[in-house]
Amino acid sequence: MNDRLKQAFHNIRAEEALKNRTKAFLYHKTNGYTKKRTVPYHRLIPAIACFLLVMFGGYWLYFTPTVAISIDVNPSIELGVNRFDRVISVQGYNADGQTLADSLDIKYQSYTEAVNQILSNEAVTALLADNEVMTIGVIGSNDAQSAKILSEIQSCTAGEANTYCYYADSDEVKKAHEMGLSYGKYRAFVALQALDPAITVAEIQDMTMREIRDLMDSLSGQPDTETGGNHGFGRGQGHRRGAER
Amino acid sequence: MRSEQEVNRAIEQYADMVRRLCMIHLKNDADTEDIFQTVFLKYVLHTGSFETEEHEKAWLIRVTINACKDLLKSVFYRRTVSMDEIPALPAEMPPEEKDILEAVLSLPQKYKDVVYLHFYEAYTAPQISRLLKKNVNTVYTLLTRSKQLLREKLGGDGYE
Repeated sequence: MNDRLKQAFHNIRAEEALKNRTKAFLYHKTNGYTKKRTVPYHRLIPAIACFLLVMFGGYWLYFTPTVAISIDVNPSIELGVNRFDRVISVQGYNADGQTLADSLDIKYQSYTEAVNQILSNEAVTALLADNEVMTIGVIGSNDAQSAKILSEIQSCTAGEANTYCYYADSDEVKKAHEMGLSYGKYRAFVALQALDPAITVAEIQDMTMREIRDLMDSLSGQPDTETGGNHGFGRGQGHRRGAER
Repeated sequence: MRSEQEVNRAIEQYADMVRRLCMIHLKNDADTEDIFQTVFLKYVLHTGSFETEEHEKAWLIRVTINACKDLLKSVFYRRTVSMDEIPALPAEMPPEEKDILEAVLSLPQKYKDVVYLHFYEAYTAPQISRLLKKNVNTVYTLLTRSKQLLREKLGGDGYE
């Protein structure tokens, strides 16, 4: 009976057509037996997606400026600060500003270190010693970070003469940038234009803040006085001793 | 990747064995063709070397049985094929042999592999236990019980 069982199994054979179809399938599947074993890349897709998300998310978080610090003497520069209080961009808005920006090594430093480095820069201290005016604007979205930075900068510049700190909303800054001005210069330009509509951007671009202030004083026939309001100059709360000497 | 000659040699050498294993697990030709493609594609891509022909044969038996079990476990297969159905056997097969195979195919699934491996491939219980990764005593029990069942179904006493 075992033999009969064996014989019964023996009669079951793979059909030639089945073998040929299998050979054809394998030939096709292996690209004529030339294809290297493929790495299962599809299994890596979720990991790659997560990696890219973390990379781009991290990049976006780090390299998106949330606050800008506009510093104007005659050199006009603007620092882009991210949500981690690090300087991620330094841009000069005129020739002097570009020269100053190039001489600074403040990228990726905290904004306090960056502002201190600018305040102690030889060219800037020379200008301030020469009774020039410095305005430092914190431009943000009226959030906690902007308030903190403004407060820090005010304390940083507490001992500086002729230094003014102010806050501005980031929406207003777009117009300034469209005109190729830093926000500090733009505010001065707007104030000056109110007194003399003939004034042009080109005229004030390379003027120092002291020259602009003096011009404003002469046009208005008044000595340097502060204008009120949220974005007016000189909310430096005692930082402008030199200007009023 | 293995060469075409090597793969064609394996197909010629082992296709009948794979076909028989498919017969005792599966119900139709389309599934058998799927298993052929799965098993021999694995063979093509298998990078390890076989020490002996016996080693290669055992590897193919294991891969075929596992592929059949995977197919049977698939939800789609469970919903579309009746598990009680017995596959059609070749029409030209002598009636007595057909009866024997039908008796084997009507056995519960757990007996079929050991019956085929023992009666046709002449593997011993310890060899089957290694092949199927089952306890050797379990294999002895399955063999004894399958002999009894076949004897009952076929009414003979020659299954020793």
